Amino acid sequence: MSQTYTLQYFAVLREQARCREERVTTSAITPDELYAEVRARHGFTLEANFLRVAVNDEFADWHAPLCDGDHIVFIPPVAGG
Amino acid sequence: MSSSSLATHQAETSPDAGGAFSFRVSDEPIDVPAEQATLSDPGAGGYVAFEGWVRETNEGRRVVRLAYEAYPMLANREGRRILEEARQRFGLKSASCLHRTGLLEIGGLAVWVGVSAAHRGEAFAACRYIIDEVKHRVPVWKQEFYEDGDSGWVNCERCAAAAGPAQSNATSTAANASHGHTHEHDHRHGHSHTHDDGHHHAHAPQTTAPQPAIASRLPDYARQMALPEVGAAGQAKLGAAKVLVIGCGGLGVPVATYLAGAGIGSLTLVDPDILEATNLHRQIAYAAADCGQAKVLLLAARLRALNPSIGLHTHVEAADVALLDALVPRHDVVVDCTDRLSVKFAVNDAAVRHGVPAVLASVHQYEGQVQVVRPGSSCLRCVWPQAPRDGVVGNCAEAGVLGPVPGLIGTWQAFEVLRLLLDLEAPREGVLTVDLLAGQTRFLRAPRATDCPEHALKQTVATDAPLELPSLAAGLARGLCVVDVRDAAEAAANPLSVAHHHLPMAALLQDLQQLPAAENGWLFVCMRGIRSRSVAEACREAGHAAAYSLSGGAPH
Ligand SMILES: [Zn+2]
Repeated sequence: MSQTYTLQYFAVLREQARCREERVTTSAITPDELYAEVRARHGFTLEANFLRVAVNDEFADWHAPLCDGDHIVFIPPVAGG
Repeated sequence: MSSSSLATHQAETSPDAGGAFSFRVSDEPIDVPAEQATLSDPGAGGYVAFEGWVRETNEGRRVVRLAYEAYPMLANREGRRILEEARQRFGLKSASCLHRTGLLEIGGLAVWVGVSAAHRGEAFAACRYIIDEVKHRVPVWKQEFYEDGDSGWVNCERCAAAAGPAQSNATSTAANASHGHTHEHDHRHGHSHTHDDGHHHAHAPQTTAPQPAIASRLPDYARQMALPEVGAAGQAKLGAAKVLVIGCGGLGVPVATYLAGAGIGSLTLVDPDILEATNLHRQIAYAAADCGQAKVLLLAARLRALNPSIGLHTHVEAADVALLDALVPRHDVVVDCTDRLSVKFAVNDAAVRHGVPAVLASVHQYEGQVQVVRPGSSCLRCVWPQAPRDGVVGNCAEAGVLGPVPGLIGTWQAFEVLRLLLDLEAPREGVLTVDLLAGQTRFLRAPRATDCPEHALKQTVATDAPLELPSLAAGLARGLCVVDVRDAAEAAANPLSVAHHHLPMAALLQDLQQLPAAENGWLFVCMRGIRSRSVAEACREAGHAAAYSLSGGAPH
């Protein structure tokens, strides 16, 4: 029972993934499972506890179950000015 | 010459004066026969005209051409007043005056006055009266271009006459009366600030009959007041507002500049940095020649030139908790424009603590984030409960940035400040993300987090020892173990010249046990001194008192 999500990356995650958006079909059903999966694949240096996840444009809990088709944003804080 | 192009369409005629009474400034050539035709009147026994031409010398310098610039609204108002005075004094049948703006060649017709009256005596006298009064009272500036390629601005005669000591006294008196209450500062933190006395013109254009020369050099807010949501009431709100701007770099420059232009009553600028050449591509209020000077003072001078009517307060120092606690409660909005996460959190916390709205933003390469924190709304810590240390996520120095990115995000911040002050349609709670490469904005809603630690600031461990050392030599003199915390590629590109260990920051922060054994402690080094400072802070919080950071980063 896999689900498909649209993932969007910001800042250093975009740099490390070398893309800003991708569709992922996976058995992961929570943001933390999903992040662990894409972190391993893209070699993200940031741990999840430095990031926030937004599901369908609202900041969400790392352990809240995801639905098929969800739009998911992984976003780190940025510091430039 | 945007101001002069507006003037073309602003001819004004007194309706109840019988014949034509028309004054206007215009960037189009003056059509004398057409103007003369407007003066014909069955009761007129004569007509007198005066033409003012561009002369080729002024005060001994050869002029090749000149340009006039006017403030159309004030110029037309004052000009109409002069014509009305002439009508009443001399019983004119009609009068017309045009003043050119824009570029004129030698011999060009710069000003034209025509009057008609029953008798020649009144006509001559009235024409003379009008041209003299226009030269003295109508706000027009003249830029002369000299033979040697130089050019200079020449005030209208009245402006020059007013620019003496009397003007300074008058304006500083007005400033003291109006802004004196905003000059209360708490000096216990030892911060420096300057009061720009003598430049605080307390009056707005509409209320400056005694000093129209100065009034004509103030911004006119007509274009923003024309918005139904702004109007005179909104402008009054802006004029009464005090805004605190933390950081005068890529974000702070557009923030402060737009707010000054909008007529915010008082701006307080805080930044410890001096201008560097690497700032100029994105911090466009500054000049290359100003490198080495304090940004805060440079920006204040620029804003004073833009809008002499606003109050300006400057702090050439970093925004720490004590300074924020002193300043934030005295302002209506605080804007964070720094490139330090630690300062962003400190600003957020002070804003929440004192119930003052904050507009926070930061940029990363081609992206930006903006968050508006209002009393009772979600805050930066609701979104980021675990603040990463400075340097974990790159700043402009480390990650690189194109100038328009902070320009755009800072402009967005300026808009959010105006939105708050004008009570425009309320912003939603959350974080606006902007990705310029993708051409996308995305608003991520962030309700107030139930586990936000009461928006409280996590206190960092206090210690007496300085956190930063000025040089590698100073560290070696203390017998410190030098640790390079840059990435491998960075370290290879600019290797340290002294014996050292290499432990990239990300890896090191995950486990401080990796630190090499060191009898006297460690000196951490990175590219700019930001990541190394974070590592040193982490070590001290973990109980290692002898952890230091090399200020300014690795020698180049
Ligand atoms: Zn909060």
